[in-house]
Amino acid sequence: MRLRRLHRLTALLLGLGFGLAAPYYLRAAYSQDPDPQNEKAEFYWSRLRYTSSAVGRGGGFGFGYGYGYGYGYAGWARDYPKADRQFLLALKRLTRIQMRPVEQIVDLNSDDIFNYPWVYAVQVANWTFSDAQAQRLREYLLKGGFLMVDDFHGTADWDRFMAGMRQVLPDLPVEDLSDSDEIFHVLYDLGERFQVPGEQYVNTGRTYEKDGYVPKWRAIRDSKGRIIVAICHNMHLGDAWEWADMPEYPENFASMAYRVGLNYIVYGMTH
Amino acid sequence: MFEFLFKYPFAAFHTGQLVLLGAWPKWLLPVLILLTAAGLALYLRRTRLRAAPTLQSWRLPVIGLLEWLTAAVLLVLLWQPALVVTELEPRQNIIAILVDDSRSMNQVESGSTREEQAVRALQSGVLPKLQQNFQTRLYRFDTHLSRIAGPTELGPAAAPATHIGASLEQLMTQTGDLPLGAVVLLSDGGDNTGGVDRHAIDALRNRRVPVYTVGFGAERVAQDVEIEDVVVASRVLAGSRLSATVKFQQRGYGGQKSTLTVRDGGQVLSSREITFAPDGSVQTESLLFNIGPAGAKTLQFVVEPLASETNRANNTLSRLVNVDPDPRRILYFEGEPRWEYKFIRRAAEDDRMIQLVSMLRTTENKIYRQGVSGSHELADGFPSSASDLFGYEALIIGSVDAGYFTPTQQQLIRDFVDRRGGGLLLLGGRQSLADGVWGGSKVADLLPVILPDGRDTFHRDPATVSLTAAGADSVITRLVDDSAANTERWRRLPYLMDYQDPGRPKPGAAVLAEMHSGQRAMPLLVTESYGRGRTAVLATGGTWRWQMSLPLGDKSHDLFWQQLLRWLVSDTRGRLIASAPKATLLDDGQVQITADVRDNEYHAAADALVTARLIGPTGLTAALAFDPVPNSPGRFKADWAAPTPGLYVTELTARRGAEDIGTDVVTFQRLDGVAENFHTEQNRALLEGLAASTGGRYMRPAELASLPREIPYSQAGITVQQIKELWNMPIAFLVILLLRACEWLLRRKWGVV
Repeated sequence: MRLRRLHRLTALLLGLGFGLAAPYYLRAAYSQDPDPQNEKAEFYWSRLRYTSSAVGRGGGFGFGYGYGYGYGYAGWARDYPKADRQFLLALKRLTRIQMRPVEQIVDLNSDDIFNYPWVYAVQVANWTFSDAQAQRLREYLLKGGFLMVDDFHGTADWDRFMAGMRQVLPDLPVEDLSDSDEIFHVLYDLGERFQVPGEQYVNTGRTYEKDGYVPKWRAIRDSKGRIIVAICHNMHLGDAWEWADMPEYPENFASMAYRVGLNYIVYGMTH
Repeated sequence: MFEFLFKYPFAAFHTGQLVLLGAWPKWLLPVLILLTAAGLALYLRRTRLRAAPTLQSWRLPVIGLLEWLTAAVLLVLLWQPALVVTELEPRQNIIAILVDDSRSMNQVESGSTREEQAVRALQSGVLPKLQQNFQTRLYRFDTHLSRIAGPTELGPAAAPATHIGASLEQLMTQTGDLPLGAVVLLSDGGDNTGGVDRHAIDALRNRRVPVYTVGFGAERVAQDVEIEDVVVASRVLAGSRLSATVKFQQRGYGGQKSTLTVRDGGQVLSSREITFAPDGSVQTESLLFNIGPAGAKTLQFVVEPLASETNRANNTLSRLVNVDPDPRRILYFEGEPRWEYKFIRRAAEDDRMIQLVSMLRTTENKIYRQGVSGSHELADGFPSSASDLFGYEALIIGSVDAGYFTPTQQQLIRDFVDRRGGGLLLLGGRQSLADGVWGGSKVADLLPVILPDGRDTFHRDPATVSLTAAGADSVITRLVDDSAANTERWRRLPYLMDYQDPGRPKPGAAVLAEMHSGQRAMPLLVTESYGRGRTAVLATGGTWRWQMSLPLGDKSHDLFWQQLLRWLVSDTRGRLIASAPKATLLDDGQVQITADVRDNEYHAAADALVTARLIGPTGLTAALAFDPVPNSPGRFKADWAAPTPGLYVTELTARRGAEDIGTDVVTFQRLDGVAENFHTEQNRALLEGLAASTGGRYMRPAELASLPREIPYSQAGITVQQIKELWNMPIAFLVILLLRACEWLLRRKWGVV
């Protein structure tokens, strides 16, 4: 009996220890390069870290650096870093862009974001900005920065996303992109696209989440007609990048997600 | 005084030949002079011991020298020296008197105009004295010569220009069969053609007619500001920012302030305060302004007149600038997606005069084109033929290895600059310059730098920037108008995201900006001219950080790039290039318009047909036909004379069989009377030069009284040879007396008398 208790305690401690250490092991697994963070490059995959309304009541940026495997519910870190790094592998292989193999975290609390003219944000239904952060993001976009947002679904998410967006760009309209828009042809011709679901598709067969039945390819343009915010609503490209190596995840979704991401980066670097 | 001492005027000695009239052999004179010297030396040597003790040093030879000189002068006089001179035959010759009647002679000095002073000088006895021995003809002249009956017909001086050379040539023609003995020219020397040309001098020399020039007017004015020159591009793109260099001189206002302004009609384009340099020094100031929309513009550069300045007309100078309405096309080839590409494109999009056509290698096998006029443009990659590449006015090459281009394409790039006259800009990058092995390419000669050996010259590290002295005033790097503020503005620019060692600038290249990484300084922006075109190296791919780091609304990045792109294309011309030697014709409408015509590969098109339609003031129109220039294939010319002052616009058209080569516009303006307001000081150098080159003499008005005695010594007209004895010149006796007096005084001083 005592031995059984001891075994249970040992198992619990081991489980707890493994659970706590798991993020660090996983992080190391994706850090094969001895010091990739120090590599200098033309392009840095920049992920926007923002204050999340859902988990942000405690302040700061949520629970540490949740790495996407159920740890931490900070919205900005969804699919991080696996999605980022798997996408960067494709970017390196399929384009001539000289990039760093690991991602860069940027936030709106310092001017460092101005050194990274392309930024990716997910779960933007939960983002909130202080006035200073909104002002910085506005200046970033109007000076020539490019923002791609992904992984928010349905009507309620859209409304919350727009609440944040209207803090940043109160006057610029959101428009639906036509199939002929340059952003869909800058690298790959993506005149016909389809909804790219998240990982839930593997278990449920559903391509949508919440009431986001139809994918919305939307954008905000500057005064010269250049897209400065590319909006991927009712789809989850990040999951497609992340689970592209999962045999059960359909290749056509992953392929579309990669192509869209590559097009958006090339567009952001040319317009 | 000269005539009193030497018995005859200077002109007699100047034109005459010295002879000895004595019957004894001429060789005997130097022999006797030498023998006298030897005898005196021998005598002094023998008697020196008996001489007074005070003379037994160097003093005895001095006494001997004085005695020998006295003897030598006497010997020369014994041989009867004389002058053989050619003199005008009295009452057989004509003396032409020319009086300047141009507006500059209307300047008031000492209470009367220069022309009034000239009339007074003639009427104060000179004219009657000349008329005693010669027939005189009085003329007034400006751009041409007119005979007048007498001095009372002169004035007020109002002619808008002076052409001394042309007037003298006209005189020579009119008096070709007359015995013209000499010319007397009364003028301030102000000549609007820049001087008396060779033809006029030759015409005078051929007939040996001396010109006696009499200068009127102050040789230095007390208080005046005069613009000497304005250098500004004669052809620019609409909306260009222009830099004009204004050169001026002033007297009497050193250290005072005024305002330098450039106006287009009534509109002030730019204005700034200037402080005058010390009196007499030539001062150069630059002025920056935006030229505005397209059209032919007459810009007026003005140094605002100061109080008590009498001649204010020379404070303004005008220049003609053709502002081109057609946008220029630039081809930008980039080897990899990078931020610099995006931000260059964005800067160019804000300049409607620049069309940036770009090719970007997004993948190994894909090229993304932007700014193309249609799907066919550049569809086959970088151009491989001259006709395709030469359609652009400039070429930018980004981060791309030289080996990407075939040898043919490299040669095309070279020809693009050298033959076509295009602009070439090479950017820094990981596959650029030395890292792209451009040093071994056919393009290497074009570059304004000697690239370093080896690779690894590109670094993704920060580099700060600064301007050089050349860059502080360059239209490429001018972010703010004031030169010092501009230098400071550059010093405060955010650091570059990366840099590349471009090597050493070549001799003749201009380094406009430098970059600094740690303790190391390297050229950042280097430019130079090559062949008919121009090249530049910008050794970074990281200026985009200026745009992202500077406050929203700051235009520094975009302005720099727009100015750099405009510089690249500003002097790139089409296949038909029309030109006139001067954009402003002062008082003379004669102009020769030249057309250079090229085929689609920019080789000379000798078989072209060039015509032009000319539109002048008050609705004047004319059609011009151009003739080939011998020994200059592809060059054509047409002569024309603008009849009235005003602006003339000439549109040229070139055809080659059925092929329409193109059109070009050249503008020029005729201004009458403006030149007379400049250089109003007496041009004594011109008058002296004219007199000296014809055997005459320059005189001040006060010396005019001696003219009737000097003027007969001329070899022109009807002459007679005369012998003028010199033995009885007062100067000879004075010299003998002086020598003897010196000897006596010295002996007395040394105590031997």
